Amino acid sequence: MKPIARVAVMGAGVMGAQLAAHLINQGIPVRLFDLPSDKGARNERTQQAIAHLSAIKPPPLVDPGRAMLIQACNIDDDLAQLADCDLVIEAIGERIDWKEALFSRIVPHMAPDTWLVSNTSGLSLTAMAKTLPEERRPLFCGLHFFNPPRYMTLVELIRTPWTDETAIPRLWEFVNSRLGKNVVFACDTPNFIANRIGVAATVFAFYHAQRLGLSCALVDELTGTRLGHPRSATYRTADVVGLDILAHVIDTTYRQAMDDPFRHCFAPNPRLQQLIANGSLGAKTGRGFYRKEGKTILQWDAEKGEYIATGETPDAKVLACLTASPPERLIRLRQLDHPQAQFLWAIHRDLFHYCAHHLSTIANFAMDVDLALRWGFGWNLGPFEVWQMSGWQTVAQAIEADRQQGVTLSDQPLPAWALNPECRGVHKPDESWSAQKETWVIPRGVPRQRIPTFLIGMGKPESVGTTIQESGAARLWTLDDEVLIFSLRTKMNTLGETALEAMDQALEQASLRGLPLVLWSPAAHFSAGGDLAGFIQTYTQHGLNGLNQAQRRFQDIIQRLRSSPVPTVAALQGFALGGGCEVALHCDRRVAHTETNMGLVEVNVGLFPGAGGLTEMARRAGCRALDDGLPLQVGDYLKADLSRILRCEVSGSAQEAKRWGWLDVGDVIVPHAGELLHVALSQARALVEASYGAPLVYPVPVAGIEGRAQVLSALINAHQGGQLSDHDLFIGRTLAQVACGGDLPAGTLVPVEYLLALEREQFGPLLATPKSRERIMSFLETGKAVRN
Amino acid sequence: MNNVYIVAATRTPVGKGKGQLATIRADTLLISVLRGALAQVPTLDPEVVEDVVIGCAMPEGEQGLNIARSAALLAGLPISAGAMTLNRFCASGLSAIQMAAERIQLGQADIMIAGGVESMSRVPMMGFHPAPSPLIFENPSQLPLAWGMGATAENLAQIWNISREAQDSLSLLSHQRAVAAQDRGDFTAEITPLEGRRIIGVENDGEYQEQVLTIAHDEGPRRNTDMAALGRLKPAFHVRGSVTAGNSSQISDGASALILVSEQALVRHQLTPLARVMGFSVKGVAPEIMGLGPVKVVPPLLERHGLEQSQLDWIELNEAFAAQVLAVQKHLAFDPECLNPVGGAIALGHPLGASGAIRTTTLIHGLRRTQGRYGLVTLCVGMGQGIAGLFERL
Repeated sequence: MKPIARVAVMGAGVMGAQLAAHLINQGIPVRLFDLPSDKGARNERTQQAIAHLSAIKPPPLVDPGRAMLIQACNIDDDLAQLADCDLVIEAIGERIDWKEALFSRIVPHMAPDTWLVSNTSGLSLTAMAKTLPEERRPLFCGLHFFNPPRYMTLVELIRTPWTDETAIPRLWEFVNSRLGKNVVFACDTPNFIANRIGVAATVFAFYHAQRLGLSCALVDELTGTRLGHPRSATYRTADVVGLDILAHVIDTTYRQAMDDPFRHCFAPNPRLQQLIANGSLGAKTGRGFYRKEGKTILQWDAEKGEYIATGETPDAKVLACLTASPPERLIRLRQLDHPQAQFLWAIHRDLFHYCAHHLSTIANFAMDVDLALRWGFGWNLGPFEVWQMSGWQTVAQAIEADRQQGVTLSDQPLPAWALNPECRGVHKPDESWSAQKETWVIPRGVPRQRIPTFLIGMGKPESVGTTIQESGAARLWTLDDEVLIFSLRTKMNTLGETALEAMDQALEQASLRGLPLVLWSPAAHFSAGGDLAGFIQTYTQHGLNGLNQAQRRFQDIIQRLRSSPVPTVAALQGFALGGGCEVALHCDRRVAHTETNMGLVEVNVGLFPGAGGLTEMARRAGCRALDDGLPLQVGDYLKADLSRILRCEVSGSAQEAKRWGWLDVGDVIVPHAGELLHVALSQARALVEASYGAPLVYPVPVAGIEGRAQVLSALINAHQGGQLSDHDLFIGRTLAQVACGGDLPAGTLVPVEYLLALEREQFGPLLATPKSRERIMSFLETGKAVRN
Repeated sequence: MNNVYIVAATRTPVGKGKGQLATIRADTLLISVLRGALAQVPTLDPEVVEDVVIGCAMPEGEQGLNIARSAALLAGLPISAGAMTLNRFCASGLSAIQMAAERIQLGQADIMIAGGVESMSRVPMMGFHPAPSPLIFENPSQLPLAWGMGATAENLAQIWNISREAQDSLSLLSHQRAVAAQDRGDFTAEITPLEGRRIIGVENDGEYQEQVLTIAHDEGPRRNTDMAALGRLKPAFHVRGSVTAGNSSQISDGASALILVSEQALVRHQLTPLARVMGFSVKGVAPEIMGLGPVKVVPPLLERHGLEQSQLDWIELNEAFAAQVLAVQKHLAFDPECLNPVGGAIALGHPLGASGAIRTTTLIHGLRRTQGRYGLVTLCVGMGQGIAGLFERL
């Protein structure tokens, strides 16, 4: 099967340009097409769209320099360039006549085995396919990306009756493994799955909020993180999306889903229309449901027709319901006679009702609905998961009771399968309920995703593989008895004493068995760093000596990652910060998801990387200087990394970390986080196959007092310019003292242990300073860094 | 002591950092002005040139290896003529003139070329490998040796209570004067144009377009700037400071060369003097107030030559920073009409080691154009020095 190696994107609008950016992020050559410009250069329009990428937040490109690799084209002069593209993505305006006109122009230039896909978010793919010549239709489908495409992992794949099933795997694998996206197969129904359900949730929240007289801010308090939804919750999300866009998506359901028994809820909403008419379109116009005035955030009051203060807090009784155990939560809300409780029950009830009613038409099985909402809307749990968790039958009966009282938004009964007393939910291990087929089906897995996404009812990731050792802090296990896997399970995978001991034991086990060790966990983050509370506790209870011993232990274990006789591979994703970054830097190899944020950010909490991190930076600089024959100039090789440490810089992507040299040239970047474990395992095996032996660690030249002077010179100026506080300067001096090798002259060869000893000598006294401890305490209390 | 006369003075147009001259090496800039200066005196046989003294503040990389010597030979000067590169940071170009003049005053030479060169686009300020002495950091009183120039300007603004608005006003005036002078064609006589190449669109098949551009004008002056635009700029050196990119001198590329001769040479080679070199003064000041350097050197220099400040018709005070110029003005109070009449380094640019020679070239041509008599060039110097040179138009 010929891989998809080159892609064309038609339409350089917001989505098209960002899709092109994401393709180039993943190393796929891309041609971006738009109309030619009347004046100036012919590709002016496309080029401007490419240039604008650098102004978009969050950044669509992993490296702004890649913009130049997107090839700008126009549809008048460059259609011949479609000939060697294996995939053409249509991302132009949402009008079927425009799309038809475009297709008629591009199709003659496409190779017969080239996929044509549409990124439409609302039009019928079947209707679109009909505009194509019949021989073209087998390689046509919908591929609905979410905005912003670099960060949103959901892609809905919508087949038409003509789509060639045998050709799907090639496209699926490309979207999954090369683009790093999660594919959900959606039916060709209005708004597909994620928007159909997600927008229904929004519309129902609007409806009940108005009915019960709840303000925007209060609704957002209730429907954000407390429900496992993004913090932006309901109204703030609408502002971010854009009220005009939201209204358009709602209208798509209203206009196209003619037989939807909830259709009346999607009729134009006067409050929303009023804001749009006022030009209040949300974040892009500076006002929508919210408006920021200076530092104050005001909310729209539709009754008064003005922005008013926020600040209401949810009722304590309501909050108590929300923190109750899952089976009690919804039922207690239903029973509580309080508008906020009634609101929360009603939005759940109606959404469940809606999902159950539509499951048979929008999705092949229930799992896809929940995954689409998780991946497309950032919900921790999909609607069916929440229902199942809350006790399926209890909730189903409650919905039915409400319906009979006429308070539900549709008088349609729940489908028979949902009311069947046998029904306990729609998910069970390895199977998902298909309302279409009225039976359980086995969803197809993705081969390289060794640990699939586990929904409520499907079991836990921990059930996969054979456990060798486990504790509350970590699990050591294996899938195949060939590679050991060490998975942290602390909060944000922080590295405290027990986690480190577990890591040491894992290294011990790996060494004893002669098996490579992969550091991977199912969590979203590799590790947020060392356990600060633990450090403080050690210091308070055992003083500087105790701290020193603990630090030495941390250093030893981290050094062991490199020196043990078996290869170690770190599988990075999300945060790899502080101690987590130090762990990653010391493994033999790293595989990193594109969205990896590496940083040695200890200065934020008044410390420096003291578990071998500064030593490692000094060692690398020394090696590079020595290789270049410049052992007296180590300072020049060190200063960029020290500056990153001082500024607590965090890489915006794995590609950026590679540019810094924090990921090695040979480290592997993986587009899909779900494939990280698979790649890490194969890299570990590859190291074994190559007759692994622990790397030799040479003495290295230090930057010395001359290098320290270079660092100090920069520090003094930053301090003089008000960019560094006095304590920052003090930390900076300490950091320079350690990283440059103390009071030795530049170029002096030292063993790594010498640098580690310097780390220990300076770390405790720094932690003991009141200002550093103030930083730590503040971070522990508020999660935010203070610059004292 | 022998009299010293300037018989030729020219400069390149000045380019903005990464601007019109960025693709041209510093030695090429220098070759252009050496040839340009010789072209101004066709009766002078280059064979008789004694020595070439060139100032350069960052003499490394393309500006290293005694750039004066290689450029002099490449410019067509004879093997017999010597060449040296000297460094007094921003004063280098004026110190080169001083050194050349003093050789002639002492009767050690008859015909000298002096000048300066700097491509800040190609050799960055601080050089490629800044490495200050560790001793600086052992004694807090020596720390200002490591201060960046912007920090010293902020320091002056604080000590002398110089407002952001006053700095921006001076900056605006500098641009307005420079633009007006450009429009009048004031700089035409002093500029030796040069050619630059621009390569556009290198294609896979090896095809590309090449434009050859004649560069004849300074790139720095901004025609459309105003107080509002200047006011929008963020402080560049202190998070709560007043010194911005808009009220500081620009990062620039440029070169300048002047020919200095003795009275005997004047007669022997039938040369017309443009100006007479009167004398120089150099002194040190504390590094943290380096911008006040001119305050230390101007009064003693005038006194030595028996001149009152009011007799000066034209003063080229290098605008390192608006704050620094205003601090100097609080002490010296030059007549604002005579001070930088065609704008200064804020508008015209400040190619470090070349600036002393460029300002002198502008002064000499300006005095001739306006029939003024006495002119002064003065600059402040990083790490704390001041320099001034006095000239009389003939």
